[in-house]
Amino acid sequence: MIVCAALVVPPSSDVYVPQELAHKPVGLDYGNGTAYAGLQMLEGAVPREAVTTRAAITHPGERFAALMRGEFAATVLQEPWITVAEKAGCRLVSITFFHGTWVAGPDLDPELYAAFLRGVTRAVRRINADKRRYVPYFKGGWAEGDPQVQALTPDDFNLGRIVLREPTPIPEDEARWAWEWMAGWGVLEGRFDVAAQINRKVEREAHELAAATLVG
Amino acid sequence: MATMTMTIEPVSPFSSLDVLVAMDEGLFAAEGLDLRMASRAARDIRSTTEGTLTSPVTNQGRLQERGEATMFQG
Repeated sequence: MIVCAALVVPPSSDVYVPQELAHKPVGLDYGNGTAYAGLQMLEGAVPREAVTTRAAITHPGERFAALMRGEFAATVLQEPWITVAEKAGCRLVSITFFHGTWVAGPDLDPELYAAFLRGVTRAVRRINADKRRYVPYFKGGWAEGDPQVQALTPDDFNLGRIVLREPTPIPEDEARWAWEWMAGWGVLEGRFDVAAQINRKVEREAHELAAATLVG
Repeated sequence: MATMTMTIEPVSPFSSLDVLVAMDEGLFAAEGLDLRMASRAARDIRSTTEGTLTSPVTNQGRLQERGEATMFQG
């Protein structure tokens, strides 16, 4: 699945474009994909030395609450809290998308992974045929106890932010770029080694098996 | 069709709507896969506020490291 992440400012903010976040604290859930997406959005707008981040909690609902309490100038959110924030009058000053990537150990059985890929592929096709039908899923999980999320209706969601793609092998250039970018921020050390990161044999066998048996 | 079993770490709709729908609508089962989702115990949950940008704290991958899940979403 493709994940949507947005840099969000409160309704009263004097920030209208991401460049205005220079030297202002932005709450990021360090270590998660949304945090790196937030960092990339900031880096695309201001010099690296002007990027100012603060540790924020993993739960996006609590991160949104902290934003509204004024703990940060902005934070990064994902759905359904992007929609909640918009309904509360917040502004999205930047938006981006990134791949959710599955990680497994070296002993993953290609047949097992192929069955997983087939199930996911069929689900992607089903959801893409009628996204609105499936948006109630965003009220589950972390959002179950959140009254602001529970108050949303399916029509509140911007379907352009719900993006699904059939699984593909990991492109080496994208993996290398991501590694080197993270190393540039000091999150990872060492040089990218594709053989150490991606088991191409298992990946290829699984995708070939999945493709061979996917019908319609 | 023989049934295979696999356990994954917990997922959320924003990053794994496809997996949740496939589980609920029997799409994995139709492929001979009994996909299960592990749950994290309180001891496995640490706050990202304990970490820093260059030394983050994440809960992802902990169950897989212990052999309690085959895959997690990174």
